[in-house]
Amino acid sequence: MTSATLAAPRRAERRSARRGSPGIARAKARAGWILLVPALTHSVIFMALPTIIVVGLSLTDARVVGRGDVVWLDNYIELFQDQTFRTALLNTLAYTIVVVPVGMAVALLVALGLNAPIRGRAAYRTLFYIPVVTSAVAVSTVWLWIYNPASGLANEVLAFFGIGRSGWLTDPDIALPALMVIGVWQGLGSKMIIYLAALQGVSQELVEAARLDGANRWQIFWNVTWPALGPVQFFVLVTSIAGSFQVFDLVYVMTQGGPANATNVLTFDIFTNAFSRLQIGYASAETVIMFVFVGVMIYLGRLTQRDRKDY
Amino acid sequence: MTATTEAPPRIPAPSATPPAPQRRRRSRVAPGAIVLSVVLAIGGLLMVVPFVWMILTSLKSLGEVSTFSWLPQSVQWQNYVEAFKAAPFLTYFRNSVIVVVCQTIPLLFIATAAGYALAQLPIRFKGGILTYFILLLGVPFQVLIVPLFIVVRSVPFAGGNDWLGQGGTGWINTWWALIIPFVSAPLYVFLARQFFVSLPPDLADAARMDGLGEIAIFFRIMAPLARPAFVTIALFNVESAWNGFIWPLVATSSEQLRPLQFGLATFAQSSSGQPQWPFLMAISTLATLPMIALFVFGQRYFIAGLASSGIKG
Repeated sequence: MTSATLAAPRRAERRSARRGSPGIARAKARAGWILLVPALTHSVIFMALPTIIVVGLSLTDARVVGRGDVVWLDNYIELFQDQTFRTALLNTLAYTIVVVPVGMAVALLVALGLNAPIRGRAAYRTLFYIPVVTSAVAVSTVWLWIYNPASGLANEVLAFFGIGRSGWLTDPDIALPALMVIGVWQGLGSKMIIYLAALQGVSQELVEAARLDGANRWQIFWNVTWPALGPVQFFVLVTSIAGSFQVFDLVYVMTQGGPANATNVLTFDIFTNAFSRLQIGYASAETVIMFVFVGVMIYLGRLTQRDRKDY
Repeated sequence: MTATTEAPPRIPAPSATPPAPQRRRRSRVAPGAIVLSVVLAIGGLLMVVPFVWMILTSLKSLGEVSTFSWLPQSVQWQNYVEAFKAAPFLTYFRNSVIVVVCQTIPLLFIATAAGYALAQLPIRFKGGILTYFILLLGVPFQVLIVPLFIVVRSVPFAGGNDWLGQGGTGWINTWWALIIPFVSAPLYVFLARQFFVSLPPDLADAARMDGLGEIAIFFRIMAPLARPAFVTIALFNVESAWNGFIWPLVATSSEQLRPLQFGLATFAQSSSGQPQWPFLMAISTLATLPMIALFVFGQRYFIAGLASSGIKG
């Protein structure tokens, strides 16, 4: 660095002060690495490395205590014969297939409503967002009470509409849908906020032009607003899928996977296998399968966006 | 959406004037807007009814909850005191505060420094490193639970471990396990980077002319300008650290370390036969209200953060 600066003529040095000489560039790069290294090291140790380790562990019969042997694909073969795993996978898929589209549709409707010039928009926005910032454990506890068969709010609502009482979380047919309701309810706000930000970015001139051409409300939505939401749809879809695959707190607090595995989901099954049955290798294989499923869902989400010009 | 169609056809002026003029036009409220307001009000109410019922229940007597009712017969404020006697919730609260503070303060430095470096400094493989962080954004935390447990248990020389990280329990069941894995996160690096990209490099150049070192430029010039990004990141992490449950459940067993959510879940289950609902709701109220307050006062930052991570991502 020093020799380069010394050798350089004065004019070049002046210019370098403005645009950056090799010396300054090197100082910048060095500072860049110093500032970057903590986060980079941290992410390698606590994220990248674990992501690789989980694949390695899935090929062993590792347990929490003691060392495991390599068993290659035995865990995977065993998993696909495991009835509990199959149920957990199907429950997770069912939860995702219901919660994601329903949540997205409702969130978009609310966002469209809040994008209109009405009084108290900020207050509505806050109300819809509150469930997002509250902990899933506290929310689960509250819903556990709402679904209480004897004196909970849910049965009271049913009674109001003249429908018979339900056991909710004790009924194998109702328990998973009951959790889906909470999933939609709690995830609504963050999707809504993202849609709202995107709607505010939709070109008002285009909307105006379409209106002058005589387009009705529905045509404007379908031809102007909807295409403009393309990239955001993809983002919301991907984060929602990833989120719904991760549902754990609800199940842990409210049902522990029951009744009769009716609400056992992948993360809960992984947790049980890893930390109750202490089968780290087996749980790792299950984790890898979950990761693959999330990846496939994200890839499919991307495909549906491919025909849109803006993605 | 409904109201705008009622407006007379405006000529698209060159100086695009969005909703402002319509908002002032209050004299004649369109019927569509009223319907919309009612629908939104009902929707908004549905969103908070569970919380309202939570607070109402927390004020009822223990005997009162065996049948359904909205309002408490007489307000039992002492539930909030009694609940703290039913389980060591004071310790749980204290633990949550320790975890939140000890994660968020280092995180603010580590993540924003990396975001700044990726946005404004000429690092080799910058594109590759940014892609790496974005890829990590797609790794769900639940995928990391099992291997992270192994990593944290295998920290060398900790908890009776040898230099290979074998033989002991590492950081499991220590404060380190609750804090260190979360003192940085790709999401926050990415958020900070998105913010610093929008700052003009001229500011740093001017400081460079004055002879300020590169690290000092970050701390003294750029970081103060990035206050909105710092607030956003802090709020996001305070929320996720306060609400986090699965990792403390996996990584700790001692009651002395147990954060609030874990404590609440244990309390809800320990009495699964006949839970003491008013106490449970009192603690749930105390567990949720700080985050609701934080959001209400800082929502500008929450929304800015969500929008920039969402749309540009």
